[in-house]
Amino acid sequence: MEKDDLLHAYLASEENYAPGEVIIQEGTKGDWVYLLMEGNARVTKQTSSGSVLVEKLKKGAIFGEVALLGNMRDLRCASVIAGDVPVKVGILDGQQMLRDYESLSPELRLLFKALAKRLRTANDKAAALVVAVNRAENMDY
Amino acid sequence: MAIKENKNKIFPVVRLSYKKGDLIIKEGDYGISIYRIVEGKVAVTKEAEGKEVFLVDLEPGEIFGEMTFLGRTEEPRNASVRAREDSVLEVWHPSRLLNEYAKMPPIIKFMTDQTLSRLLRMNKLIVELTTREQKIRKEMRKKDPLTSQRRYFRKKVDLVCHYRPARSSEKVRLPGHIMDMGLGGIGLEASVKNAEMYSHVKGDLFIVDIVLPDRKILEMRCNIQEITKNVRSGNMLVGMSINAISPGARKLLGFFLMP
Repeated sequence: MEKDDLLHAYLASEENYAPGEVIIQEGTKGDWVYLLMEGNARVTKQTSSGSVLVEKLKKGAIFGEVALLGNMRDLRCASVIAGDVPVKVGILDGQQMLRDYESLSPELRLLFKALAKRLRTANDKAAALVVAVNRAENMDY
Repeated sequence: MAIKENKNKIFPVVRLSYKKGDLIIKEGDYGISIYRIVEGKVAVTKEAEGKEVFLVDLEPGEIFGEMTFLGRTEEPRNASVRAREDSVLEVWHPSRLLNEYAKMPPIIKFMTDQTLSRLLRMNKLIVELTTREQKIRKEMRKKDPLTSQRRYFRKKVDLVCHYRPARSSEKVRLPGHIMDMGLGGIGLEASVKNAEMYSHVKGDLFIVDIVLPDRKILEMRCNIQEITKNVRSGNMLVGMSINAISPGARKLLGFFLMP
Protein backbone atom coordinates (compact mmCIF):
# COMPACT_ATOMS: atom_id res chain seq x y z
CA MET A 1 0.00 0.00 0.00
CA GLU A 2 1.26 3.50 -0.85
CA LYS A 3 2.10 5.70 2.10
CA ASP A 4 -0.52 8.33 1.21
CA ASP A 5 -3.27 5.74 0.82
CA LEU A 6 -2.24 4.17 4.08
CA LEU A 7 -2.49 7.43 5.99
CA HIS A 8 -5.69 8.40 4.23
CA ALA A 9 -7.35 5.23 5.46
CA TYR A 10 -6.65 6.29 9.04
CA LEU A 11 -7.71 9.95 8.79
CA ALA A 12 -10.63 10.63 11.10
CA SER A 13 -10.82 14.40 10.64
CA GLU A 14 -8.88 17.48 9.66
CA GLU A 15 -8.17 20.72 11.48
CA ASN A 16 -6.80 24.08 10.38
CA TYR A 17 -4.55 26.33 12.43
CA ALA A 18 -3.41 29.92 11.86
CA PRO A 19 0.34 30.67 12.03
CA GLY A 20 1.51 30.64 15.66
CA GLU A 21 -1.58 28.87 16.97
CA VAL A 22 -1.10 26.09 19.53
CA ILE A 23 -1.94 22.59 18.25
CA ILE A 24 -0.76 20.63 21.30
CA GLN A 25 -0.20 22.28 24.68
CA GLU A 26 2.56 20.81 26.85
CA GLY A 27 1.28 19.51 30.19
CA THR A 28 -2.28 18.86 29.05
CA LYS A 29 -3.94 15.49 28.64
CA GLY A 30 -4.52 14.10 25.19
CA ASP A 31 -3.86 10.99 23.15
CA TRP A 32 -4.66 11.97 19.59
CA VAL A 33 -2.02 11.28 16.97
CA TYR A 34 -1.62 13.97 14.32
CA LEU A 35 -0.31 14.07 10.77
CA LEU A 36 1.05 17.37 9.47
CA MET A 37 -0.65 17.70 6.06
CA GLU A 38 0.21 21.26 5.09
CA GLY A 39 2.58 23.89 6.43
CA ASN A 40 5.19 23.48 9.15
CA ALA A 41 5.24 23.46 12.93
CA ARG A 42 7.55 23.96 15.90
CA VAL A 43 8.01 21.62 18.85
CA THR A 44 8.76 23.61 22.00
CA LYS A 45 9.35 22.87 25.64
CA GLN A 46 8.82 25.09 28.67
CA THR A 47 11.98 25.72 30.72
CA SER A 48 12.96 27.97 33.62
CA SER A 49 14.06 30.53 30.98
CA GLY A 50 10.89 30.40 28.92
CA SER A 51 9.90 28.38 25.91
CA VAL A 52 12.67 26.61 23.95
CA LEU A 53 12.50 25.30 20.39
CA VAL A 54 13.55 21.66 20.23
CA GLU A 55 12.47 20.66 16.74
CA LYS A 56 10.83 21.80 13.52
CA LEU A 57 8.25 19.59 11.83
CA LYS A 58 7.66 19.44 8.09
CA LYS A 59 4.79 18.20 5.97
CA GLY A 60 4.31 14.45 6.41
CA ALA A 61 5.48 14.42 10.03
CA ILE A 62 3.52 12.46 12.60
CA PHE A 63 3.32 13.92 16.08
CA GLY A 64 1.57 13.24 19.36
CA GLU A 65 2.46 9.56 19.00
CA VAL A 66 4.56 9.47 22.18
CA ALA A 67 1.35 9.29 24.24
CA LEU A 68 0.07 6.29 22.24
CA LEU A 69 3.39 4.43 22.43
CA GLY A 70 4.13 5.26 26.03
CA ASN A 71 1.72 5.63 28.85
CA MET A 72 -1.68 7.03 27.90
CA ARG A 73 -2.04 8.66 31.29
CA ASP A 74 1.08 10.77 30.73
CA LEU A 75 0.61 14.42 29.94
CA ARG A 76 1.83 15.92 26.67
CA CYS A 77 5.60 16.29 26.98
CA ALA A 78 6.00 19.19 24.53
CA SER A 79 3.95 21.83 22.76
CA VAL A 80 3.41 21.83 19.01
CA ILE A 81 2.78 25.25 17.50
CA ALA A 82 1.80 26.11 13.92
CA GLY A 83 4.76 27.65 12.04
CA ASP A 84 4.85 30.77 9.87
CA VAL A 85 2.16 29.59 7.41
CA PRO A 86 -1.38 28.25 7.86
CA VAL A 87 -1.30 24.63 8.94
CA LYS A 88 -3.58 21.73 8.14
CA VAL A 89 -3.37 18.64 10.33
CA GLY A 90 -5.07 15.30 10.02
CA ILE A 91 -6.20 13.49 13.13
CA LEU A 92 -5.62 9.77 12.91
CA ASP A 93 -8.33 7.39 14.06
CA GLY A 94 -7.39 6.75 17.67
CA GLN A 95 -9.53 3.62 18.09
CA GLN A 96 -8.09 1.98 14.99
CA MET A 97 -4.51 2.99 15.90
CA LEU A 98 -4.96 1.61 19.40
CA ARG A 99 -6.36 -1.68 18.07
CA ASP A 100 -3.37 -2.02 15.73
CA TYR A 101 -0.97 -1.17 18.49
CA GLU A 102 -2.54 -3.58 20.94
CA SER A 103 -2.37 -6.39 18.38
CA LEU A 104 1.40 -6.36 18.89
CA SER A 105 3.03 -8.75 21.34
CA PRO A 106 3.71 -7.34 24.82
CA GLU A 107 7.44 -7.66 24.16
CA LEU A 108 7.33 -5.49 21.04
CA ARG A 109 5.15 -2.93 22.79
CA LEU A 110 7.68 -2.86 25.61
CA LEU A 111 10.33 -1.78 23.10
CA PHE A 112 8.16 1.04 21.74
CA LYS A 113 7.33 2.12 25.26
CA ALA A 114 11.06 2.32 26.01
CA LEU A 115 11.56 4.33 22.82
CA ALA A 116 8.82 6.80 23.77
CA LYS A 117 10.25 7.24 27.24
CA ARG A 118 13.73 7.86 25.86
CA LEU A 119 12.37 10.50 23.50
CA ARG A 120 10.65 12.27 26.39
CA THR A 121 13.88 12.29 28.42
CA ALA A 122 15.92 13.41 25.40
CA ASN A 123 13.50 16.32 24.76
CA ASP A 124 13.86 17.45 28.39
CA LYS A 125 17.62 17.21 28.24
CA ALA A 126 17.90 19.04 24.90
CA ALA A 127 15.73 21.89 26.21
CA ALA A 128 17.82 22.18 29.39
CA LEU A 129 21.02 22.25 27.31
CA VAL A 130 19.70 25.01 25.04
CA VAL A 131 19.19 27.09 28.19
CA ALA A 132 22.68 26.19 29.52
CA VAL A 133 24.36 27.09 26.21
CA ASN A 134 22.53 30.43 26.06
CA ARG A 135 23.58 31.14 29.61
CA ALA A 136 27.23 30.24 28.90
CA GLU A 137 27.22 32.46 25.81
CA ASN A 138 25.96 35.42 27.78
CA MET A 139 28.45 35.05 30.61
CA ASP A 140 31.31 36.92 28.91
CA TYR A 141 30.90 40.37 30.34
CA MET B 1 28.87 -14.79 32.79
CA ALA B 2 25.59 -16.57 32.06
CA ILE B 3 23.58 -17.35 35.16
CA LYS B 4 20.48 -18.95 33.75
CA GLU B 5 18.68 -19.46 30.50
CA ASN B 6 14.93 -19.48 30.07
CA LYS B 7 13.59 -20.93 26.83
CA ASN B 8 9.89 -20.47 27.60
CA LYS B 9 9.82 -16.79 26.75
CA ILE B 10 9.26 -15.38 23.28
CA PHE B 11 13.01 -15.10 22.96
CA PRO B 12 15.86 -16.83 24.69
CA VAL B 13 16.76 -14.90 27.78
CA VAL B 14 20.22 -14.94 29.31
CA ARG B 15 21.13 -13.21 32.53
CA LEU B 16 24.48 -11.47 32.65
CA SER B 17 26.25 -9.69 35.50
CA TYR B 18 28.42 -6.67 34.99
CA LYS B 19 30.78 -4.93 37.38
CA LYS B 20 30.62 -1.19 37.97
CA GLY B 21 32.44 0.53 35.11
CA ASP B 22 32.10 -2.37 32.62
CA LEU B 23 31.30 -1.46 29.03
CA ILE B 24 28.11 -3.30 28.00
CA ILE B 25 27.57 -1.87 24.52
CA LYS B 26 30.23 -0.05 22.52
CA GLU B 27 29.15 2.64 20.09
CA GLY B 28 30.02 1.60 16.54
CA ASP B 29 29.97 -2.14 17.26
CA TYR B 30 27.47 -4.47 15.67
CA GLY B 31 24.83 -6.36 17.63
CA ILE B 32 21.05 -6.67 17.89
CA SER B 33 20.62 -7.92 21.45
CA ILE B 34 18.18 -6.04 23.64
CA TYR B 35 18.86 -5.60 27.34
CA ARG B 36 16.56 -5.19 30.33
CA ILE B 37 17.98 -4.02 33.62
CA VAL B 38 17.15 -6.39 36.47
CA GLU B 39 19.42 -4.80 39.08
CA GLY B 40 21.77 -1.84 39.07
CA LYS B 41 22.09 1.23 36.92
CA VAL B 42 23.65 1.99 33.53
CA ALA B 43 24.67 5.18 31.73
CA VAL B 44 24.11 5.76 28.01
CA THR B 45 26.82 7.89 26.38
CA LYS B 46 27.93 9.02 22.93
CA GLU B 47 31.42 9.88 21.84
CA ALA B 48 32.19 13.32 20.44
CA GLU B 49 35.65 14.69 19.71
CA GLY B 50 37.29 12.02 21.81
CA LYS B 51 35.09 12.64 24.85
CA GLU B 52 32.17 10.72 26.34
CA VAL B 53 28.98 12.78 26.31
CA PHE B 54 26.39 11.63 28.84
CA LEU B 55 22.88 11.04 27.48
CA VAL B 56 20.83 9.30 30.15
CA ASP B 57 20.91 7.00 33.19
CA LEU B 58 18.67 3.93 33.10
CA GLU B 59 17.35 1.97 36.09
CA PRO B 60 15.82 -1.45 36.84
CA GLY B 61 12.92 -2.32 34.54
CA GLU B 62 14.21 -0.11 31.75
CA ILE B 63 15.31 -1.37 28.37
CA PHE B 64 18.21 -0.44 26.13
CA GLY B 65 19.69 -1.63 22.86
CA GLU B 66 16.23 -1.46 21.27
CA MET B 67 17.15 1.29 18.82
CA THR B 68 19.35 -0.94 16.71
CA PHE B 69 16.65 -3.56 16.56
CA LEU B 70 13.88 -1.12 15.64
CA GLY B 71 14.51 -0.76 11.95
CA ARG B 72 18.22 -0.24 11.85
CA THR B 73 19.57 -3.73 12.31
CA GLU B 74 22.27 -3.30 9.67
CA GLU B 75 23.63 -0.25 11.41
CA PRO B 76 26.19 -0.18 14.19
CA ARG B 77 25.27 0.74 17.76
CA ASN B 78 24.40 4.40 18.06
CA ALA B 79 25.60 4.87 21.64
CA SER B 80 27.67 3.19 24.34
CA VAL B 81 26.25 1.79 27.57
CA ARG B 82 28.35 1.42 30.71
CA ALA B 83 27.47 -0.05 34.12
CA ARG B 84 27.24 2.71 36.71
CA GLU B 85 26.87 0.17 39.47
CA ASP B 86 27.25 -3.61 39.64
CA SER B 87 24.34 -4.64 37.44
CA VAL B 88 22.38 -7.72 36.44
CA LEU B 89 20.90 -7.61 32.95
CA GLU B 90 18.53 -9.80 31.01
CA VAL B 91 19.72 -10.16 27.44
CA TRP B 92 17.13 -10.86 24.76
CA HIS B 93 18.05 -12.16 21.38
CA PRO B 94 15.24 -10.74 19.29
CA SER B 95 15.31 -13.22 16.37
CA ARG B 96 11.65 -14.15 16.89
CA LEU B 97 10.60 -10.55 17.35
CA LEU B 98 12.13 -9.70 13.98
CA ASN B 99 9.44 -11.73 12.28
CA GLU B 100 6.64 -9.95 14.12
CA TYR B 101 8.30 -6.60 13.54
CA ALA B 102 8.39 -7.20 9.77
CA LYS B 103 4.68 -8.08 9.74
CA MET B 104 3.28 -5.39 12.02
CA PRO B 105 0.62 -2.96 10.73
CA PRO B 106 2.22 -0.48 8.27
CA ILE B 107 0.78 2.51 10.14
CA ILE B 108 2.61 1.46 13.32
CA LYS B 109 5.85 1.03 11.37
CA PHE B 110 5.39 4.40 9.69
CA MET B 111 4.78 6.05 13.05
CA THR B 112 7.52 4.38 15.08
CA ASP B 113 10.10 4.99 12.33
CA GLN B 114 9.50 8.70 12.87
CA THR B 115 9.78 8.36 16.65
CA LEU B 116 13.06 6.54 16.21
CA SER B 117 14.59 9.07 13.82
CA ARG B 118 13.39 11.86 16.12
CA LEU B 119 15.21 10.24 19.04
CA LEU B 120 18.37 9.81 16.93
CA ARG B 121 18.22 13.50 15.93
CA MET B 122 17.60 14.55 19.51
CA ASN B 123 20.59 12.53 20.76
CA LYS B 124 22.75 14.18 18.10
CA LEU B 125 21.48 17.58 19.21
CA ILE B 126 22.30 16.78 22.84
CA VAL B 127 25.85 15.83 21.86
CA GLU B 128 26.26 19.02 19.82
CA LEU B 129 24.91 21.25 22.58
CA THR B 130 26.98 19.57 25.31
CA THR B 131 30.16 19.94 23.24
CA ARG B 132 29.32 23.56 22.48
CA GLU B 133 28.68 24.43 26.10
CA GLN B 134 31.96 22.82 27.19
CA LYS B 135 33.86 24.69 24.46
CA ILE B 136 32.41 28.05 25.45
CA ARG B 137 33.34 27.46 29.08
CA LYS B 138 36.85 26.31 28.16
CA GLU B 139 37.45 29.35 25.96
CA MET B 140 36.18 31.60 28.70
CA ARG B 141 38.55 30.07 31.23
CA LYS B 142 41.46 30.52 28.80
CA LYS B 143 40.50 34.11 28.03
CA ASP B 144 40.05 35.05 31.65
CA PRO B 145 41.26 32.48 34.19
CA LEU B 146 39.69 34.49 36.99
CA THR B 147 36.19 34.33 35.55
CA SER B 148 35.34 30.91 36.84
CA GLN B 149 36.79 31.71 40.23
CA ARG B 150 34.79 34.91 40.31
CA ARG B 151 31.63 33.06 39.47
CA TYR B 152 31.84 31.18 42.73
CA PHE B 153 33.04 34.16 44.73
CA ARG B 154 30.38 35.56 47.06
CA LYS B 155 30.71 38.97 48.61
CA LYS B 156 29.25 39.28 52.13
CA VAL B 157 26.72 42.10 52.10
CA ASP B 158 23.62 43.34 53.85
CA LEU B 159 21.31 44.92 51.31
CA VAL B 160 17.59 45.53 51.27
CA CYS B 161 15.68 43.74 48.53
CA HIS B 162 12.19 42.99 47.32
CA TYR B 163 11.26 39.94 45.38
CA ARG B 164 8.23 38.38 43.71
CA PRO B 165 7.35 35.06 42.08
CA ALA B 166 8.18 35.42 38.37
CA ARG B 167 5.15 33.45 37.21
CA SER B 168 2.60 35.18 39.40
CA SER B 169 0.47 37.86 37.81
CA GLU B 170 0.00 39.52 41.21
CA LYS B 171 2.19 42.50 41.85
CA VAL B 172 3.45 41.41 45.26
CA ARG B 173 6.62 42.75 46.88
CA LEU B 174 8.05 40.31 49.38
CA PRO B 175 10.64 41.92 51.67
CA GLY B 176 14.08 40.36 52.17
CA HIS B 177 17.76 40.97 52.81
CA ILE B 178 20.65 39.97 50.57
CA MET B 179 23.34 38.39 52.73
CA ASP B 180 25.84 37.45 50.05
CA MET B 181 26.09 38.05 46.36
CA GLY B 182 28.22 36.83 43.46
CA LEU B 183 28.12 36.58 39.68
CA GLY B 184 26.42 33.20 39.89
CA GLY B 185 23.92 33.75 42.63
CA ILE B 186 22.70 35.35 45.84
CA GLY B 187 21.90 34.40 49.40
CA LEU B 188 18.60 35.95 50.44
CA GLU B 189 17.26 36.08 53.99
CA ALA B 190 13.53 36.49 54.46
CA SER B 191 10.73 35.67 56.88
CA VAL B 192 9.38 32.12 56.60
CA LYS B 193 5.95 33.78 56.32
CA ASN B 194 6.79 34.57 52.70
CA ALA B 195 7.01 30.85 52.04
CA GLU B 196 3.59 30.31 53.63
CA MET B 197 2.01 32.68 51.13
CA TYR B 198 3.97 31.83 47.98
CA SER B 199 5.68 28.60 46.95
CA HIS B 200 9.38 28.60 47.85
CA VAL B 201 10.81 25.30 46.62
CA LYS B 202 13.87 24.34 44.64
CA GLY B 203 13.55 25.52 41.05
CA ASP B 204 11.00 28.27 41.77
CA LEU B 205 11.72 31.41 39.80
CA PHE B 206 11.66 34.89 41.34
CA ILE B 207 12.33 38.42 40.19
CA VAL B 208 14.61 40.07 42.74
CA ASP B 209 15.14 43.83 43.06
CA ILE B 210 18.22 44.68 45.12
CA VAL B 211 18.92 48.18 46.38
CA LEU B 212 22.66 48.86 45.98
CA PRO B 213 24.48 51.25 48.39
CA ASP B 214 24.31 54.01 45.74
CA ARG B 215 20.48 53.57 45.67
CA LYS B 216 20.62 52.00 42.22
CA ILE B 217 18.26 49.05 41.74
CA LEU B 218 19.64 45.78 40.49
CA GLU B 219 17.00 43.54 38.95
CA MET B 220 17.52 39.86 38.13
CA ARG B 221 15.64 36.62 37.72
CA CYS B 222 16.76 33.96 40.17
CA ASN B 223 16.09 30.27 40.75
CA ILE B 224 15.88 28.78 44.21
CA GLN B 225 18.66 26.23 44.75
CA GLU B 226 18.28 25.50 48.46
CA ILE B 227 16.47 26.74 51.54
CA THR B 228 17.59 26.62 55.17
CA LYS B 229 14.89 27.49 57.67
CA ASN B 230 15.70 28.80 61.12
CA VAL B 231 12.75 27.98 63.37
CA ARG B 232 13.96 30.16 66.25
CA SER B 233 14.38 33.40 64.32
CA GLY B 234 11.45 32.71 61.96
CA ASN B 235 13.73 33.46 59.04
CA MET B 236 14.98 31.38 56.14
CA LEU B 237 18.10 31.64 54.06
CA VAL B 238 17.27 31.12 50.40
CA GLY B 239 20.19 30.23 48.13
CA MET B 240 19.44 31.33 44.58
CA SER B 241 21.26 31.11 41.28
CA ILE B 242 21.00 33.93 38.78
CA ASN B 243 18.86 32.77 35.92
CA ALA B 244 18.67 35.91 33.78
CA ILE B 245 20.09 39.38 34.09
CA SER B 246 20.17 42.28 31.62
CA PRO B 247 23.59 43.36 30.26
CA GLY B 248 23.20 46.69 32.09
CA ALA B 249 22.42 45.02 35.40
CA ARG B 250 25.28 42.56 34.91
CA LYS B 251 27.69 45.47 34.51
CA LEU B 252 26.30 47.08 37.66
CA LEU B 253 26.75 43.80 39.54
CA GLY B 254 30.28 43.42 38.15
CA PHE B 255 31.29 46.87 39.40
CA PHE B 256 29.69 46.24 42.76
CA LEU B 257 31.60 42.98 43.22
CA MET B 258 34.97 44.54 42.37
CA PRO B 259 37.30 44.46 45.34
